[in-house]
Amino acid sequence: MKQNGRLPVAVLGAGLIGVDLAEKIMRSELLDCGLVVGRDENTPGLRQAAELGLPIGTRGIESLLEAPEPFAIVFDATNAMAHAEHAERLSLSGTKLVDLTPSKVGRMVIPSVNGEEVLSSDDINMISCGGQASIPILHAITQTHRVDYVEVVTTAASPSVGRSTRLNLDEYIETTQDAVRDFTGVKDVKAILNISPAKPPATFRVAMSMLGEGFGTASVNAAVEAAADRVRSFVTGYRITACVVEETKVFVAAEVTSSGGRIPKYAGNLDIINSAAVHVAERCAAAGLASIGTETS
Amino acid sequence: MSAATSPGGAGKPVVIHDASLRDGHHAVRHQLDREQLRAYARAADIAGVPVVEVGHGNGLGASSLQVGQARLGDDEMLSIVREALRDSRMAVFMLPGWGTTADLERAIAHQVDMVRIGTHCTEGDLAERHLGFLREQGVEAQAVLLMSHMASPDRLARECAQLVEFGASAVGIMDSSGHYLPADVTERIGAMREAVDVPVMFHAHNNLGMAVANSIAAVEAGADILDACARGFGAGAGNTQLEVLVPVLERMGFSTGIDLYGLLDAADIAERELMPAPPTIDSVSVVSGLAGVFSGFKNRVLDVSRREDVDPRDVFFELGRRQAVAGQEDLIIEVALALKAARGA
Repeated sequence: MKQNGRLPVAVLGAGLIGVDLAEKIMRSELLDCGLVVGRDENTPGLRQAAELGLPIGTRGIESLLEAPEPFAIVFDATNAMAHAEHAERLSLSGTKLVDLTPSKVGRMVIPSVNGEEVLSSDDINMISCGGQASIPILHAITQTHRVDYVEVVTTAASPSVGRSTRLNLDEYIETTQDAVRDFTGVKDVKAILNISPAKPPATFRVAMSMLGEGFGTASVNAAVEAAADRVRSFVTGYRITACVVEETKVFVAAEVTSSGGRIPKYAGNLDIINSAAVHVAERCAAAGLASIGTETS
Repeated sequence: MSAATSPGGAGKPVVIHDASLRDGHHAVRHQLDREQLRAYARAADIAGVPVVEVGHGNGLGASSLQVGQARLGDDEMLSIVREALRDSRMAVFMLPGWGTTADLERAIAHQVDMVRIGTHCTEGDLAERHLGFLREQGVEAQAVLLMSHMASPDRLARECAQLVEFGASAVGIMDSSGHYLPADVTERIGAMREAVDVPVMFHAHNNLGMAVANSIAAVEAGADILDACARGFGAGAGNTQLEVLVPVLERMGFSTGIDLYGLLDAADIAERELMPAPPTIDSVSVVSGLAGVFSGFKNRVLDVSRREDVDPRDVFFELGRRQAVAGQEDLIIEVALALKAARGA
């Protein structure tokens, strides 16, 4: 039941993340957005999805379970507390989940690092915007240098931080810290989130500080540039704005601007996690690893 | 306390919230040790200071390269101060996004009496979950809005009303940049007083020499809780000077319940034991107040400006232009590098 050869997917959650995600999926040649689900058709998110010509549902997870055919992939853009229940209720349908909440339930993915390894997982977790922006760099530096401490400070513009994220700050911090530990092997890790109220809004940024030994300007720069290039292959607005290397300390800052669609340019936090999620789903589709219905196509 | 009084305060109680052992940490790069915490907490307790706040300058869970790593962990700071206080209540501060519910649970295990949840002045809804958690735990939770000069009186009033709905038992504002003049305070506290029925708090910084005057404007506009620090021990130009504020309030007829000699002794101990020198309004602090930038940036701005050979005053004005808020210390390096590059161009 592929639509025009594209894999049927759905978006659960119609907040800031969900609507941008739906729009990105519409631009994909491998995915077909069959449903955007919220809770109230009068919310701006569902209205925007309807204006885009997408089918909408208003009964949360029920809308997905009632769909005539199961979706190959469901993107969960709700909140961390709700994700475990969504995963459980969709488990019988064979649907693959790409989770954009910091729930820690599924297999964590950073596409440029372990993108291939996770494709067969039933529940793939996108960690957090700060994780997606920092871990490629942190992973690259820790592969080639001794690092004892890592700190990640993310700053997102106030209008780009929706209610679920505001209620999930603890999960954001814990999930980001866990993921940094996992991907770098460094035990001592701290994640911090700032919300900037500046007007016009500040561009999404992540500042990374590392303590270690024997850092060299050339080797750190090389690792950072190579990692940034890999991220840029699917997040075009990703750039390094500072890289200060001392003998025992490194500071790297990156900014992400949104690559278009209806989210504003400063909201790179939405862009990077959604671009990464769509990228992962496309790789699943291309690898034939999201197989609902495909045998009948 | 015996001093000549005038009837303006009409005996109205004002709760003094002593932030020396938390905000003062900004002045000494978060390096207070066990003996220092113990000595000052005991002295404040003996003086009858009702609330003693302790912790890293940016609150629970904030020790970091971004804002400075503390000498002592939160657990150790809390257990030392808890043991030193007999009558004073122990308070801690936490910024959501920096500390988490796990940090609150540990503070509760140390028998903290009151928690203040802080957010930037327009982002009060970041405190919803933590205020709710504290209320469920039966711990008194106040909510404070930082960098409050960046929002209008009306906006602050609306944020305060929302914080009360989330469970805050008191609400207040911090003049984190020391930017206010008394009329600014009167207008804001007045609007907040109209909007809520719970006690209202004000926390001043002294960048423009206005901390005591602004605090007086706050109580006259209806504030019930004032923050202050011994010798003004705090970020940048320092905070409201505790041992000046209290006798001024008493002369005006407000009632603090604090013993004058005990308070002066505590302030002497603070000057001798806690700080290399009392905070002063140096040139950079004037600029940070004018620019509306968080006073706590001072030491980092001076460090980075020296390293990159740029004028720290330019760095402060540029941070103000970018509307940097408390916690965004990572911007200091970017601003300094940009100023250096612009000069080289």
